[in-house]
Amino acid sequence: MLHYMKEYFDFRAFFICVLLVIIGLLSIYSATFDINNAANFYRQAIWAALGFILMLVTAFIPLRTLQRLSFAFYFFTLAVLVIVLVVGSTVKGSKSWFGIGGIGGQPSEFAKIATVLAFAAYLARTNVSLSQVKHLIITLCIFAVPMFLILAEPDLGTTIVFFATLLPLLYWAGVSNFILVAILVPILVAVGALFGTAQFIIASVLGASLLYLFRVNRFAVAVAFGIALAVGLSVQIVYEHMHLYQQKRITTFLNPESDPLGAGYNVVQSKIAIGSGGLTGKGFLRGTQTQLNYIPEQWTDFIFCVQGEEFGFLGASLVLCLFGALSLHGLRVATMSKNKFGSLSAIGITGILTAHTIINTGMAMGIMPVIGLPLPFMSYGGSALIANMMMVGLLMNFYANRKEY
Amino acid sequence: MNTIEEIGAPSRKRVLTIIIVTAFVFLLIRLYQLQLFYHVEFGKKSDENSVRTIIKEPVRGYMFDRNGRLVVDDGPAYSITVTPASFNSGTLPLFSSLVRMESPMIQERLDRGRIYSKFSPVRVKRDVDFKTLAAVEENLYQLPGVAYEIESKRIYPFQVRAPHLLGYCKEITDAQMLKAGSAYQQGDIIGSSGLEASYETFLRGEKGYEFISVNSKGQLVGALEGGLRDVPSKEGFDLNLSVDIGLQMLAESLMVNYRGALVALDPNDGGVLAMVSKPDFDPSLFSGVTSVEVWNQLNTDPDKPLFNRATMTRYPPGSTFKMLIAAAALQEGIIDEHYRITCTGAFRFGNKVFKDLHVHGSMNVVEAIQHSCNVFFYQLILKIGIDNLAKYGKRFGFGQPSGIDVGEETAGILPSTEYYNRVYGKGKWTQGYLVSLGVGQVVKKISPLQMARYAALLANGGTLLQPHAVNSILNKRTNRYDVIDHSEHSVGIDSSVMRLIREGMRRVVQEPGGTGGMARIPGIVSGGKTGTAENPHGADHAWYIGFAPFDHPKIAIAVMLENAGFGGTKAAPVAGKVMERYLFGDLPPKPNSRPHAIALNDSTHQSTISRKQ
Repeated sequence: MLHYMKEYFDFRAFFICVLLVIIGLLSIYSATFDINNAANFYRQAIWAALGFILMLVTAFIPLRTLQRLSFAFYFFTLAVLVIVLVVGSTVKGSKSWFGIGGIGGQPSEFAKIATVLAFAAYLARTNVSLSQVKHLIITLCIFAVPMFLILAEPDLGTTIVFFATLLPLLYWAGVSNFILVAILVPILVAVGALFGTAQFIIASVLGASLLYLFRVNRFAVAVAFGIALAVGLSVQIVYEHMHLYQQKRITTFLNPESDPLGAGYNVVQSKIAIGSGGLTGKGFLRGTQTQLNYIPEQWTDFIFCVQGEEFGFLGASLVLCLFGALSLHGLRVATMSKNKFGSLSAIGITGILTAHTIINTGMAMGIMPVIGLPLPFMSYGGSALIANMMMVGLLMNFYANRKEY
Repeated sequence: MNTIEEIGAPSRKRVLTIIIVTAFVFLLIRLYQLQLFYHVEFGKKSDENSVRTIIKEPVRGYMFDRNGRLVVDDGPAYSITVTPASFNSGTLPLFSSLVRMESPMIQERLDRGRIYSKFSPVRVKRDVDFKTLAAVEENLYQLPGVAYEIESKRIYPFQVRAPHLLGYCKEITDAQMLKAGSAYQQGDIIGSSGLEASYETFLRGEKGYEFISVNSKGQLVGALEGGLRDVPSKEGFDLNLSVDIGLQMLAESLMVNYRGALVALDPNDGGVLAMVSKPDFDPSLFSGVTSVEVWNQLNTDPDKPLFNRATMTRYPPGSTFKMLIAAAALQEGIIDEHYRITCTGAFRFGNKVFKDLHVHGSMNVVEAIQHSCNVFFYQLILKIGIDNLAKYGKRFGFGQPSGIDVGEETAGILPSTEYYNRVYGKGKWTQGYLVSLGVGQVVKKISPLQMARYAALLANGGTLLQPHAVNSILNKRTNRYDVIDHSEHSVGIDSSVMRLIREGMRRVVQEPGGTGGMARIPGIVSGGKTGTAENPHGADHAWYIGFAPFDHPKIAIAVMLENAGFGGTKAAPVAGKVMERYLFGDLPPKPNSRPHAIALNDSTHQSTISRKQ
């Protein structure tokens, strides 16, 4: 019986997800324990329950139906993203919140899933091949449209996640190394440009070398390098026009200790919280950094500090291991899946979750830029939690249908 | 372009696996680094963030008089404090208006506090009234870093003044801080004069510490670990004084119209029964906060109320010195009780004439003391010489500090051959310089305290005592009284000699023709001696020393009144009343119902006293 169930039910993804959600709820309870914000905990608990149902529903929708609905879902979310840009409300400097009455959410959370599914559904068509430039451009456009809509909000973090999802997807789809390098090099040059002119030049030289190493023909190298230079230059212009808080976040990332009471405050306090946790932590509800609110709005992007401080290295490393196991499991589902749609979608979902996890925890530990990205299953926020749980539902679905062609 | 590979090629799976594993291993290494490698460092930072130490001021030790009456009490005083690190300077105008203090003054206090530590609270305003405290408390939520603390301040339940004896406490100065070291912090109260200063280490007690958690806004959240790590403050030790508070108050009232000093000692152990220096000030001016105006007023007053005349003034002793000369002459065998001199009203030495007030006729030593015959002592001093005078003067405690415990005192000046050589030059002074010394004039400089000690040794028959105001200390740790030992030694005068001297002193008071009749106590025989210190700058200073009862003395006294004229008419009655009051006693005065009465002017004080008489 159990063996039979194991065949069709992805226990591993299910339990990892449930465990992470429970740890997340405990962390939110702790982070909002003494500041009359307990409402946050109850709301998150309700969303978790809703997410749990949606996860199971998603897990049991027939694969073909999913595949067919992908485009409709994709265009629907695109439409919502446009509406958000026009009528959405501004939260923390981004026009990303869409609400009717008391119910609302961040459409960008769902746009990530829709984009991955649409990408996979398009490539799963029998006549589509990435070796054709036309098809390659269409797949890139599937990503580019929501990316630019989200960047326009502006939501830098989600845009980065899109990139972090696109690259493994293309790689998994079998795109040539040159194309990957051609996408990577502009990013490299752009990051270099952020640091300064010298770094910009070094990145450009490095990028040119990489392009030459994986060259197909000289013309392609020249075009790709031209694009990279253009991106690098425009980054500097964009930087000038960026929101002050985003500029600050970038400068703070380059040197977080430079402004310990301003922009770098969160990171400094977050590191203190995690560092002071030690091996076993200060105990549930007994972390001084957490309980005394040294980390502003800790229950959103800095929820990882709660685990670090109150549960110590044992707790925090368990969380990291669970996330790592989920990422590897996603990769395994993609490998096992015999149909293109499931396999590619699994990779995309794994990419989204992994990117979020690495950037968020890295940020809390001071080795990643502070770019408002929630920690999957843990950070406070209904849209993200439900979207993340639905992604796990999708993974479970692909696992159950892995033998389908 | 390359050929498209099958989706999910094994080589690509390997690469992605490696990327994921590497990324998570990196995160785990970073986590390890933060939580296990830099754990101590971050733990410390976390504590600095959220733990504040609150100093709990101890209750300062009390002072009780010899009859167990509470003389110096300790009550709560509320101080407004500001922690520089958490203070938001934007709230300075609001804060300034609440505590009614100028912003620059607050800023200056904060800047001074920051030098020591920006995390320790600075006392910005001490001893605020309840209205101010309530106003600040109501607005605490918008004043990060502001708090109040309970300190103690001195309360004087009786309307006793005795400021020079009891002393006062003041905010520690930078100089005191350098000397005292780590036990004190800026803004601490320290005993700065009198017994408060001498017994500071006992009275002070030990500070306690409370550890509290504060949130990121610096607001109090609660006790750290339920207060388990707190260190309670330890009360200061209590002092049991030898002083009789009723006597002290009477003495103060009697001295109210004079400038001068009064010291009454227990001739059996050297305990100070009363010590008055006038003019004085109300010690409660120094309890709580002392305003700059009050301090400046006291400090610049031409009558020098801060100056302890009882221990610090130096005046010639006048005729009170005659007992010392007589004792030296008798003890050295230079004269005996039958030795007589005829007083003609004047004494010629060389080409100088030294006058007497009366023509006394034939006098022996006892009669000479009784009548204060100058001629007798002009001749006697020449017989005993400067070296004998210096020898006995030293034995009698002159020219040296007495070792009293109320703070500063003068050693006075005792003339000797060396002293004269130094002042006038060797060989440039003659025996004629000595003659005036015979009646205690010119250079001989003695404090009222030394004089009281002299009176006490005459009372007890020749034992020089170390005067002291504290008999014992209640050690709060052992809950036992630690009795303080005081030195005493014999002055080496035979009892037969002492008997003659004392008989002379008895006659001064009790017999007709004695100069101290005005010190007479109804129903009790006493002994004494008047003195008048010549003052080249104005009216003479009046002295009286005495003791009672004559046979078994319980009190010895010295009174000095500046510019009051003859000792017999001004100083003797004061001494007599004080001794009478001590020997007969009276009902203990009731504690004053107004603990904070700030009475600079003496008349209110006096009226209270006289009502009780």
